[in-house]
Order: sequence, then C-alpha cells, then structure tokens
Amino acid sequence: MKALWGQMSAEVEKQKAITDSLVIKMTRAGYRNKISKVQVPETIGAFFCAVPVLYILINIQQLNTWYLLGCGISSVIILFLLCFLSLRSISKISGVNISKNNYKESLLQYSKAKMQFVSAQKVNFYLSAILMLVILPVMSKLIAGKDVFKQTDVWLYYVIAFPFFYPFSRWVFKRYVKIVSDAENILKELE
Amino acid sequence: MQNKEAFIEVIKGNEGRIYKVTKVYANTREDAQDLYQEIVYQLWKSFDSFRNDAKISTWMYRIALNTSIAYLNKEKRKGNHLPIDDTLINKTVTHDTLKDEQVEALYAVIKKLDIVEKGIILLYLEGNTYDEIAAITGFSVTNVGTRLGRIKQKIISQIKK
Repeated sequence: MKALWGQMSAEVEKQKAITDSLVIKMTRAGYRNKISKVQVPETIGAFFCAVPVLYILINIQQLNTWYLLGCGISSVIILFLLCFLSLRSISKISGVNISKNNYKESLLQYSKAKMQFVSAQKVNFYLSAILMLVILPVMSKLIAGKDVFKQTDVWLYYVIAFPFFYPFSRWVFKRYVKIVSDAENILKELE
Repeated sequence: MQNKEAFIEVIKGNEGRIYKVTKVYANTREDAQDLYQEIVYQLWKSFDSFRNDAKISTWMYRIALNTSIAYLNKEKRKGNHLPIDDTLINKTVTHDTLKDEQVEALYAVIKKLDIVEKGIILLYLEGNTYDEIAAITGFSVTNVGTRLGRIKQKIISQIKK
C-alpha cells in the first residue's frame, strides 16, 4: 500500500502544473470569496429581520388592543431571537482557528458547533412557526387596518396551514437527526 | 505580503501534497478545485506567522487538513471560482494501467474511511513519522499507532471484498 502510494507520489511530484500567476490569483480569489461569503448572507438575514422590526416599532401605536400589542411585541422579540441565534451558531462554526488548531481540536470544535447549530435551527423552526401565528394579525392591522381577531374566517387559514407545516417539520427534523448522529460519531471516535 | 516570492516557491514545491489532500477529501471535480484554491488561500493567510522552528510540511499538512474539514463543514456558497487548469487536480497517476487502477482503488477505500481515519492514513502514506502525525493531529504517538493498526486492517478488509 505504502509502496504504491510512494510510486504515485513520485509521479505526481514530477508534474509541475502550478504557475506564479495562478498562485497569486488563487490567493486574491480566496480573499474576495471570504468577503462575499461573510457579507451577503448576513446582510440578507439582517435585512429580513430589521425591516419588519422597524416597521412594527414605528407603527406600534396603531396596535390599539392588548392582544394586537402582545402579538406585535412577540413578533419583534422573535425576529430578534431568530437573527441572534442564527448569527451566533454561524460564528461558532466559522470561529475555528485553521492555522493554530491541530486536526483533533478542529474536529472537536466543528462537531460541537454542528450540534449547537442543529439545536439553534430547531429552536428557530419553532420560533418561526410561532412568528407565523403572531405576525399575521399585526401585519393585517398595520397594512390593511383590519383586526383579524374580529373576523372569524382568519382561523381557517391556520387550520389549512397546519397540515402542510407538520410533514415539513418531520422532514426537517429527520435531516437534523442525521447531522447530529454524524457529529456524535466523530466525537466518540475522538474520545 | 512581504514574502510573495518565498510563498510562491513553497506552493510550487508542495503542489503534489495539496493535490493529494484535495483528492482524498473532495468528491467532485468542482469541490477539488474549490478546496485547492481554499488551501492555497489559507496557507497564504498564515504564511507570515509561520516560524521556521517547525517543518514546512508539518505546517502545510496542518493547515491543509484543517481547511479540508472546514470546507466539508461549511455550507457551499457560490463564490469566485477560478478556472483552474485541470492538470492541477487531474494528474496522471502512473504510466501503468494496472497501477493506475490500484491507486484509484486505494483512493476509493480511503474516501470511505471516517474523517479521523482519513487524516491519519493520509499522513502515514505521505511518509510522516508517528511523531509528526501526532504533532499534526493532536493524538498521542501511542494512539496514532493503535489507530493506524485499526485503519490498515479496515483497508485490507475493504480491498479483499
């Protein structure tokens, strides 16, 4: 096995394909990737959280009943939490020190961060479901001026939406089980 | 970067090592290109902090392996893909068809190993000593020996199948 690998390595070493300009291009492209990878998703995520938060806060006096005000405050808190939990779990995964860590340390950090990421995603999923419930009356009041709690047919939308939500949640959690079990296996292997 | 020429020489002198790491960790041609580029970038980022008290190969393997696991753990997002010359990631293995097949079979078996085993066997096949493997991976020398014994058995049983 080692002899075969050695022969292959000797052959590979003879084939020089990289050039000075390609090395420089790779380092520059890597730098540009880092900038775009960090900025784009975080900007989009922050935008989707900040716009409805600002809109609700600016118009909060229009939520003139205790239940609409409750829904408005809950929506703002949930939007903040969604943003915070996602960014925190992403920053833990990105926070591994590639140049200082050894292989074992990196694998440990990634496996732990991945499990935390899955927990955060689960919390986010439930929070999003609650957000769907509480933001609908708020936006209905602020955009159309309607108090949906006084219109009986609004509950129909919730009843119709639930059967779609259930299989989707089952699919999401099935996917997470696999990620967690892979991460757990790596942690066991490192013990 | 101050030592641009020195860095280019290091990469040119070790392109075979980077190629083999990408071959073991990446599953598709596109992934191999991305990973190759990412390894070069990470090496460049930490080149200034590299001290000559460590072997350059030890430093290089540490960063290449860490970059590979980071790459596998991150969500794939479209970034700048350089049209890298195919010869960088598709090197001719040997000039013997039978040996080429054997090498590809060996790569296929290594790819099936878990991520901990993959790193250790790659370092072993690359001719690193147990002490060097221990320094790169963070496992004790005894643990490296035990793990290597298990991995070799696993590979042999896979090849026999």
